[in-house]
Amino acid sequence: MGAVPATLRENTAVTADVYLNVDAASTVIAVKRLRKEFRHWGRRLLALDGIDLEVRQGEVFGLLGANGAGKTTLVKILLGLARPTSGDVLVRGSSPRRPSARRRIGYLPEGHHYPGYLTGDASLRLFGRLAGVPEKALDTRIPVLLDRVGLGERGRDRVGRYSKGMTQRLGLACALLDEPDLLFLDEPTDGVDPVGRRQIRDILLATRKQGATIFINSHLLSEVERTCDRVAILHQGRVVREGTVRDLTMPTQRFRLRLAEGQAVPAERLEDDGLRVVASDGNLEVEVADLEALNRLVDRLRSDRLLIAEVTPVRTALEDVFIEVVEGDEHGPGSSENGPRTAVHGPGGGR
Amino acid sequence: MKTWALIVDTWREALARCTLLGFMAVSSLFLLILTFALNLDIVDGALAAGTLFGKSFDLPGKSPAIDTVVATGQSVFAGILYVLGVFLAVFATGSQVPNLQRRGTVDLYVTRPIGRTHLLLGRFLGAATLVSANLLFLCGGVFVIISLKTHVWNPRFLAASGLILAVFLSYLGFMYLVGVLTSSTSLSIMLPYALYLFSVPLAAHKRLAAAMDSRLAANVLHALYWVFPKTAEIGRDLTGYVLGKTTLAIVPFATTLAFGVICLAGAVVAFNRKNF
Repeated sequence: MGAVPATLRENTAVTADVYLNVDAASTVIAVKRLRKEFRHWGRRLLALDGIDLEVRQGEVFGLLGANGAGKTTLVKILLGLARPTSGDVLVRGSSPRRPSARRRIGYLPEGHHYPGYLTGDASLRLFGRLAGVPEKALDTRIPVLLDRVGLGERGRDRVGRYSKGMTQRLGLACALLDEPDLLFLDEPTDGVDPVGRRQIRDILLATRKQGATIFINSHLLSEVERTCDRVAILHQGRVVREGTVRDLTMPTQRFRLRLAEGQAVPAERLEDDGLRVVASDGNLEVEVADLEALNRLVDRLRSDRLLIAEVTPVRTALEDVFIEVVEGDEHGPGSSENGPRTAVHGPGGGR
Repeated sequence: MKTWALIVDTWREALARCTLLGFMAVSSLFLLILTFALNLDIVDGALAAGTLFGKSFDLPGKSPAIDTVVATGQSVFAGILYVLGVFLAVFATGSQVPNLQRRGTVDLYVTRPIGRTHLLLGRFLGAATLVSANLLFLCGGVFVIISLKTHVWNPRFLAASGLILAVFLSYLGFMYLVGVLTSSTSLSIMLPYALYLFSVPLAAHKRLAAAMDSRLAANVLHALYWVFPKTAEIGRDLTGYVLGKTTLAIVPFATTLAFGVICLAGAVVAFNRKNF
């Protein structure tokens, strides 16, 4: 990725706090110098290596990383499922190991396994009771939630007969049962069809509108890009990049021009003028030096009586950023300083 | 409500996995065989031996003869149930902790706002109610069948079923410890069986130690005797108690319960410290 011209950055970049519209003081999750080491038959497995992280009230935070990066281990520590080797973890100001700290926290684990002998309805009732939700509230919430996740007709079926996508929807309903103000989702769209993904995304956005903070752990970058305000990229147990999605996916020097229907793209002529052009189906993607060059190009097209329907700056996809960061960390000069790592995932991770 | 939810969950799991059904089926089969067995001529003959002209006769200073015959029969059954009941109960509950600790399932339970101690003890309570109901069915069934046949109602036999339950709970504590540490259903069933069988010869620890050359080995044997459940002594006391000959010895019973409590406490500590 080339350097972004200052003018473009000024026009498009938005500071994180303005974009998120959050109060910096309202930290929901605070992680400081977190290390997690597993010991397995005398071998030390380093899963998390000095993580510092903050998630603020009301934001949708995405944790990205390749398999074995330590994502699941971090989520498990945040939920009190695993203990840190060292460092501090506070969730809403308390240690997540305290049961009371887990009130109104929803969790959709990756690869969850609901007892197959329970019906969908009974599963929600069981975990609702364990969450301390009153019976009357369960009576009203369970059918509503089952409807909301598209399982209204299947609530009386045994979970053992559910497909993977249906189980995932049930897991989401269960995570929302306690009307959480903090929601952890580990690969939420895993095994769900595109329609289901859309539904899940809509539910998450609605939940966020109600003021909940959402922590998403995923390696589906496009999903994260669409849903999250801020992301951190975890690699070999360390946060190697953190910022808002808009900051990470900065505008490039490329622009996409869509011509009106029926207009022929003069790609060859533009290449003759020294522009790097990719053309397809009435769309034109060009790389220009600055805004002046872009405007000259527009003038040129207009002088040829071509009708321009849209001009959009091309942003770096999160996927590009992720690959750049991960590969850069592996092959870059800093990689040798890290020393050899035995492994990066604990018993629960790397799935 | 959380404890109630865990008890209901334990029952549902036992129903779904057919362990409850299996326990009930074996118990029913046992009761059916007993019913037929009590209708054999030999039983009628033995009962007749304790009566004269249809009435029980008393010897001075001794229990009525019919009562002695019935109590003897009941003590034999108490001994059988002591083995059968504990073995069936171990089998019925062996998968509880490994199923709870299954990857993808444990996350759902442990991330709720409920303490891990509460979670494990709630499941323990569920198992205890489950086995109590089964033992009540089995021992209560035997009691009713024998009493109806003989018209002798010996409450000591029912009290013995409480003792069987107490011994089982001690083993359940051990099963929970094994389950938490290994997450293995097979080991959670096999190790209590092994312990049950291994603890029987330990009752003769004094004689065995006297035959040993090594003082260390003898001391280890004594230590094992005091640490492990006193299966044989409790079995002997149980049958004697049903016969009406003895009162229950406190030490074997108390040390057996202490073993279970310590194992359960160990299971709770290990469960609380565990990374999932």
